Amino acid sequence: MQAEEFHDSIRPGLITMLPRLKRFADLLVGAREEATALLRRSLHVMLAEEHRYQRGMALDLWAFGEIYRLWLSELRDHVNPMGHAKIEDARFARLFGEEDEEIDTVTAGFLGSLPPQQRLTLLLVYGERFDHIDAGRVLDVPADTIGARLVRITAAFADRLRSRGQATPSATIETLYPQGPELS
Amino acid sequence: MTELSDDLLVAYVDGQLARKQTSAVEKVLEQDDVIARRVDALKDAHSRLEAAFEAILTGEEAEVAPPPAPPGPGFFVPWATAAKVGLAGTGLIAALVLAMAGYGWPLVMPQFAGDGSGAGDVEWTGSLPSSWQDEVVRAQTLLTRATLEVGLESQGNQDLVAFQLAQAIGPSLKLPDLAPQGFRFMRAQLLRAGDEPLAQLLFLGTSGAPLALYAKKGEGAAAPSFKSHGAIGSVAWSQDGIAYLLAGEADAGRLMKLAEAIRTEPRAEESAEPPYSLLPHTLAAPAPAQ
Repeated sequence: MQAEEFHDSIRPGLITMLPRLKRFADLLVGAREEATALLRRSLHVMLAEEHRYQRGMALDLWAFGEIYRLWLSELRDHVNPMGHAKIEDARFARLFGEEDEEIDTVTAGFLGSLPPQQRLTLLLVYGERFDHIDAGRVLDVPADTIGARLVRITAAFADRLRSRGQATPSATIETLYPQGPELS
Repeated sequence: MTELSDDLLVAYVDGQLARKQTSAVEKVLEQDDVIARRVDALKDAHSRLEAAFEAILTGEEAEVAPPPAPPGPGFFVPWATAAKVGLAGTGLIAALVLAMAGYGWPLVMPQFAGDGSGAGDVEWTGSLPSSWQDEVVRAQTLLTRATLEVGLESQGNQDLVAFQLAQAIGPSLKLPDLAPQGFRFMRAQLLRAGDEPLAQLLFLGTSGAPLALYAKKGEGAAAPSFKSHGAIGSVAWSQDGIAYLLAGEADAGRLMKLAEAIRTEPRAEESAEPPYSLLPHTLAAPAPAQ
């Protein structure tokens, strides 16, 4: 499915898709507060450099890419980019609902264990329904990479779900976010 | 047992296969329980991921409800209903007319954040043009508690309001949290001062008339200066290219303290936990270095 959001002027379009952009930022940085800050900085850049948006291009695709590129640029400026990209499990879990809400902790824990680019790959294809080509354009990788990531991540998640299903109850509650297989 | 790779099965679950390939996989599934269980597991993974992403979006939509239509010029902060806008607008215009008749509107005031050499309230001579500062301070006399409590609902989406105001006035615009000082944010709107946008943020204390913070694009920096306009006091200053005017029914000491609190409050993008934001809860805290 192709990204379908088209707008002549980006401002109303961006406002309309704020929740989607925020979700993208949420999963990228792993915490609401930092995601809000990132989104705000991204929106200022997008509006200030509106001329870079090519009319006819899917605005959501462009906006997602802008957020991702700004995040990547800022990350590279950090002394310890890998350390900076780490997320806190509890804050990440709050993305999926408030404390008093029922949260799929298994899925949240699995997503939290993934690198940001892999979380976004899942979001763009399963959450945004982008095809592999568009998802690749957002994340600046070939469509084949998107496909390969999906297979690797989904299969690993299925394995984790199956292993939890086979485990005895006492073995399934020892930790909220069990570490799964390495997914590089 | 038939050997089917995860590549193929994931593509099947994701609906990426051509019709013939899909049919072929489904035939295998009918005959091979191991493959069928694998597909079920992949489908479960897929559906749980989709549900998780939907849960995040639902939460964001609840907090970042966009306006039903793109805002127009002038009052571009969306109100609850057009009827309420009409009602409030009518009342405001009527009050403005009354004020002009009753107060000899407009008065002459020094600049919001001028050099301090301006005189106090002087009578309108007819030879000097009124400034936008005159107009907004006079307009402040038109606001009552009922203006906020009866005429208009509080704006539910402060994040969007903040975003819109910052776009009109400038990214360095401060949107202060005055809760520690006893004032609750009620609503904000964008007015016009001549051809320039003028932001108005309204706050309510536990009693008394509203407190208003006005902001427009300005130049340079200037220290706060207090002026009294009858029952209304105002403090004007400039900071980071924004001219501010804080107005309300309070004495000089109280208003100067409030102004100082606003001046010294970090800008949204500098604050670890700003009062309200573009989107849920916080606006612009940069990610802390880890």
